[in-house]
Amino acid sequence: MRQAGTYSGILSGGISGKTGPHLLPLARIKKIMKKSGEAVKMISGESPIVFSKACELFIKELTQRSWMVTMQSKRRTLNKEDVASAVMATDLFDFLVNLVSESPLEMDTSKYS
Amino acid sequence: MERDDGFNRFYKHAKSSSGLNIIHGGSSNSNNNNGIVSTDNGNAANSNAMPPPCTVREQDQYMPIANVIRIMRRILPTHAKISDDAKLTIQECVSEYISFITGEANERCQREQRKTITAEDVLWAMGKLGFDEYVEPLTVFLNRYRETQNERTSLRGEPVLKRGMDYGSSIMMAPPYAPPVFHVGHHQQGFLDGTTAMGGYLRDGSGGAAGGGSSSSQASLTNNNFDPFGQYM
Repeated sequence: MRQAGTYSGILSGGISGKTGPHLLPLARIKKIMKKSGEAVKMISGESPIVFSKACELFIKELTQRSWMVTMQSKRRTLNKEDVASAVMATDLFDFLVNLVSESPLEMDTSKYS
Repeated sequence: MERDDGFNRFYKHAKSSSGLNIIHGGSSNSNNNNGIVSTDNGNAANSNAMPPPCTVREQDQYMPIANVIRIMRRILPTHAKISDDAKLTIQECVSEYISFITGEANERCQREQRKTITAEDVLWAMGKLGFDEYVEPLTVFLNRYRETQNERTSLRGEPVLKRGMDYGSSIMMAPPYAPPVFHVGHHQQGFLDGTTAMGGYLRDGSGGAAGGGSSSSQASLTNNNFDPFGQYM
């Protein structure tokens, strides 16, 4: 991630130094937040920043739980079914149940942005 | 979902064009094929000559996959491998997570008749939806971020320029002297109201001292009461 300059850092909401650069793009987070509902009108500048860290925690937790399933099956490749199992086994991830049990994704092997 | 739009549009178009019988499979022409109105679902069920569903993923509704993978690798052992479909699944889960939390935060805002979702709303929603273990580390993170912003604006010896901002019209502009939502609780260099991440404070504390606790530092750029730091640095 590029380091924010003195002015551009503030303007783009980026932070450097103590908390380090963000791992996830704030503009994208904001876009997803706005898409979550018609009623979402305005979002404070700090909300995406909180989310950038929250998503990091979320990814780590989901990955960790999925990996435990992988290990139980004595495999080294974490696959989609492992993620699905982790979701099923965790109450916290109830909101994901439909998502992980949908029909298989069409795999587009080209690089994503 | 948007990914299905292309498919649906094609389907409706084909059905309503008179003379295009190809989609009606084996049905005879004596059916109501002239001036087809796509209200009847009977034909729809038999129309098997549909184009395959276009599942092009719109990337702007997800976090960039490279970032997602990078975070995953931080937690996994070095020898671990991740299948492509697992990466895509987790990428989707993240977006779902954001929507989930935002929806709850937004409901709270609506109940309290506020227009802007603040960081505090987001944290509240996480606590309510079971992610209470995240709340403390996120609060620490947020406070550190605000400190960084404070330091940044206080140490600079020149005025912050007024420019177009990343968040444009979605900046929450609280009126001056409005009580801040977040109270960081510590002061730096005396002249800063420690509750906000704003710069542009006058030494005597007058004018624009509070831009709302949860507004970002961008709000300071349009603060009319701003004075250059030069006078007291």
